[in-house]
Amino acid sequence: MEPLSWPMIFAKMVVQFWPVWAALIVTVALSLHFRRRLGLYGKLFDSTVGLLGFVIVMFWVFTALFADLIITFDPIAQISQMKNVSPGTPVPGSDQWYLLGGDHLARDVFSRVVMGARRVLTIAPAATVIAFMVGITLGLPAGYFGGKLDTGLSFIANLVLAFPVILLFYLLVTPEIRQTGVPVVLAAVLFLFPVIFVSVLLNSRYFTNPARRNLYVGAALAVGLWAYSGLAFNADPTGIWSMDPNLLNVFVSVVFVNAPTVFRIVRGIVMDLKSRDYVAAGQTRGEGPWYIMLWEILPNARGPLIVDFCLRIGYTTILLGTLGFFGLGVSPESPDWGSTIDDGRKLLSIYPHPAVVPALALMSLVLGLNLLADGLREESMRD
Amino acid sequence: MTDWDPSKPILEIENLSISFFTRLREIPAVMDFSCTVMPGEAMGLVGESGCGKSTVALAVMRDLGKTGRITGGAIKFKGRDLTTMTEEELRHIRGSEIAMIYQEPMASLNPAMRIGEQLAEVPIIHQNMPRAEALALARQIIADVRLPDPDRILRAYPHQLSGGQQQRIVIAMALMAKPALLILDEPTTALDVTVEAGIVDLVKELGAKYGTSMLFISHNLGLILDVCDRLCVMYSGEAVETGNVREVFDKMRHPYTQALFRSIPLPGADKNSSPLIAIPGNFPLPHERPKGCNFGPRCDYFRDGLCNARDIPMDAVTDHDRHATRCLRWTEIDWNAPAKVGKITEKLPPGRLVLKMEDLKKYYAVSSGAFGGGAAKVVKANESLTFEAHENETLAIVGESGCGKSTFAKVLMGLETATSGSIMLFDENVQDTPIQARNTDTVSKLQMVFQNPFDTLNPSMTVGRQIIRALEIFQKGNSDAEREAMMLNLLDMVKLPRAFAERMPRQLSGGQKQRVGIARAFAGGAKVVVADEPVSALDVSVQAAVTDLLMDIQRENHTTLLFISHDLSIVRYLSDRVMVMYLGHVVELGSTDQVFAPPYHPYTEALLSAVPIADTRVQKRRIVLEGDIPSAMNPPPGCPFQTRCRWKSQVPGQLCETVLPPVQVLAGGHQIKCHLSAEQLARMEPVITIAAE
Ligand SMILES: Nc1ncnc2c1ncn2[C@@H]1O[C@H](COP(=O)(O)OP(=O)(O)OP(=O)(O)O)[C@@H](O)[C@H]1O
Ligand code: SF4
Ligand code: SF4
Ligand SMILES: [Mg+2]
Repeated sequence: MEPLSWPMIFAKMVVQFWPVWAALIVTVALSLHFRRRLGLYGKLFDSTVGLLGFVIVMFWVFTALFADLIITFDPIAQISQMKNVSPGTPVPGSDQWYLLGGDHLARDVFSRVVMGARRVLTIAPAATVIAFMVGITLGLPAGYFGGKLDTGLSFIANLVLAFPVILLFYLLVTPEIRQTGVPVVLAAVLFLFPVIFVSVLLNSRYFTNPARRNLYVGAALAVGLWAYSGLAFNADPTGIWSMDPNLLNVFVSVVFVNAPTVFRIVRGIVMDLKSRDYVAAGQTRGEGPWYIMLWEILPNARGPLIVDFCLRIGYTTILLGTLGFFGLGVSPESPDWGSTIDDGRKLLSIYPHPAVVPALALMSLVLGLNLLADGLREESMRD
Repeated sequence: MTDWDPSKPILEIENLSISFFTRLREIPAVMDFSCTVMPGEAMGLVGESGCGKSTVALAVMRDLGKTGRITGGAIKFKGRDLTTMTEEELRHIRGSEIAMIYQEPMASLNPAMRIGEQLAEVPIIHQNMPRAEALALARQIIADVRLPDPDRILRAYPHQLSGGQQQRIVIAMALMAKPALLILDEPTTALDVTVEAGIVDLVKELGAKYGTSMLFISHNLGLILDVCDRLCVMYSGEAVETGNVREVFDKMRHPYTQALFRSIPLPGADKNSSPLIAIPGNFPLPHERPKGCNFGPRCDYFRDGLCNARDIPMDAVTDHDRHATRCLRWTEIDWNAPAKVGKITEKLPPGRLVLKMEDLKKYYAVSSGAFGGGAAKVVKANESLTFEAHENETLAIVGESGCGKSTFAKVLMGLETATSGSIMLFDENVQDTPIQARNTDTVSKLQMVFQNPFDTLNPSMTVGRQIIRALEIFQKGNSDAEREAMMLNLLDMVKLPRAFAERMPRQLSGGQKQRVGIARAFAGGAKVVVADEPVSALDVSVQAAVTDLLMDIQRENHTTLLFISHDLSIVRYLSDRVMVMYLGHVVELGSTDQVFAPPYHPYTEALLSAVPIADTRVQKRRIVLEGDIPSAMNPPPGCPFQTRCRWKSQVPGQLCETVLPPVQVLAGGHQIKCHLSAEQLARMEPVITIAAE
């Protein structure tokens, strides 16, 4: 078979991505049709920037979802003659090509990037969600009660923020520090917050009806603690919840550096919202402080938080990429974009494609997230 | 500008139409609006919020923002059409020939610049006046707006002045260029009544002195009567009636104007024998206006096939002075027919004692230093409050901002605990019990209705859910279905459609939100309700309906209503007893009749005189208070009111300056905290007299 020309390569890739196109078309068409009923999400479609960002982000989300349908080769399989081959090289003994060439271990760059999306789009959002829960759970009382609690928490947050991030990462992943168990302790603390958050959320809402409260909070605690034991201590007997220790380190570090910023944002919004009459109305009918914080204040803080969430996923993605690039954390086989760029770096001047392709992917995702955040911010401020 | 003849109108707006273009639709904010302002004339623009008053003003300034556009008509200023002028020409006119004063004084002031510099800038830029001369002019104008100690003010930054002083500075700034036309957009709405009265006097006086024409925008008919020569009533984007102020007030020829006057509490209205008549329905949104007459759906004289057939033009009222109305039936309507009397109710006798406060004090400790150091100061927000409230009774608590009304409400509700004194609620002492420690029963019996309709409901929760939450927390109903039913009943009680349960607060109008707030307060069968300015943020036409609703519910549930307000007209209308507060002290307490008739406490007297009343028959004695309310951080020694009192000189010795006056109990239990002797008090004259017709 002949090597493919660039137009052919693009054509093949476009065809290969068909599930993504289909899903995108359906999503956008449905959203456009119902946009007037969809609140802020619907308004997003009025802004070109927001729409563009949304499409880019959803492109990668669907890529992650349908990765199995899109890839042409096993992303970790090595086909001996294909080492560092250029894009469009046919694979002997099959009717397929390495669409974007092969890397230094003779793996298919195209399939690795596609699979990498799955890695990136699970870790970054998950870490961001946990960071938000930590930041919210601490930021709400700091802003609401103020006083010494606020002073103390803000001081700790500033301390973490003042520490150079990369140095912090190096420390957290160096074997010596790991042996002291610091990362596990950190994980044990940080992963507790989502459990606390959900339990308090449900308890404050349903405490007037003890039977229902016990059911909901019980279920939340059961699932939460189960996941907690698996993720933080790798002690889940069923093995469903577990995290590779390398990954755990990176994950915990990312949460650790993101949470203080979220804390500060939440604290600021709460200070503003707590003087509203509906908060006073809650107080005068005898609501507890956590109900007021979680059900009266938090939902009204959602606008700025959603915008920050998008930006923060982008930031986390870059951070994870950077970490991968430094060879921190993730296993060498992993197709995640950061480490792939690092692998390709050594031969960059001779064979650029193994590093350039994941770099472009990373860039486009972060760009998409930023555009999305801009669109959301712009739209949430109008009317 | 030389070819302009001073006998011609200074401002002539002809068939002006303005639209805002949003993504969803075009919003026609103003349609076919015409008015004429002659030199030296003050033109009032009244109407409810959203009717387009400010849009007209901004159009004259040609400052409609990105989305606003003039879609038709002309605005002629001294004969030249502003709508076709270039940016350059406009810049010249704005600030030097036309000046505008906004509601919020700080919006027009630069917080980082000294007052003197800001004022001097105006003539320096517009007339190339030398700096020294400009500063001298600034000093003179500051004296003109009657600010004390002009030299100190010139050197001050805006934040060092009180709200009333800031507004005076803004007026001074507008006057620096000696404009021919001054536009005032609700210039006193953010201020207290006694401060407002001073500003209004100032505006009138300066208008006369400089011969400035004015376009005075307000939702307050009383103020318009005070300030203006002519007025233009707007409804939903159109001028509906225009004419001479007295003529429109006494011989209105448009059903909306008539309905408006019947819905505001004028002297003589009484909640039992002559209740207010609310205008039914709601104000239409600009894109939902009906065909034909905009007021049609709410008009008592509506005639199908006529009023909704076509657009209605302005029609001149014959025999009147430049009076016109936008009504097709004005010649047929009997304008002298008395209003249909609303339902007359019996006054309920006051029942048992439910609330008793004795010598209640609330002090806050505040540290003055920037770093928490410095001497701790004490703010005495409430000083020895003593009063009782009975079942079925409405007790009004009156006073200007900072007098301690909200602090009192907080202490009563248990959001703060009292410094000393006692509060007996039913048979329980609650002064030291914070709300968390009160039992559900006490909490649900004592509830509150809040001031700001836009803030009182959680914007992210449906209306029904919010009421159900209150039911849950008050432990009402045994199942979700039962609470759902109770919630729907509560909606019925506040006369809202049941379908509103599913709505989000942003889909409700201000008055509707306030009704939901009332429903929520009564969810637990409240017996004592504190209403903190429940209608002050609402439009006049809905105020009456919400007030009526509160009265109805009160009658049905035998509620005790503590009505906090600064609006004396509404207080006179609905309260049984009145408590007047000043700087944390109760200065006067008595039945409504006692408080509104002499003898007065000197502060009450000034307050009554400051309230604008939209009735041409009323004659008021003008008592303008000098200065502002002292800060509660640093109250004057002796009588709290001594810095502004005009009776002080009648008290012998330095008594007022040194000794806190005792409470005098006059006939009928009327209490006054003042050193004036009973004879001196008895010699006081009424502030308000109603001229015989
Ligand atoms: N938490 C607090 N700390 C210190 N001072 C306070 C506090 N709350 C109120 N004050 C002071 O107590 C005085 C009374 O305030 P309050 O809010 O009761 O006035 P108000 O009559 O309700 O005013 P407005 O009509 O503007 O709401 C004011 O001087 C205010 O500055
Ligand atoms: S035109 Fe008809 S509906 Fe309109 S105000 Fe006159 S009588 Fe009422
Ligand atoms: S005590 Fe003196 S200063 Fe105070 S109100 Fe009476 S007369 Fe005025
Ligand atoms: Mg207040």
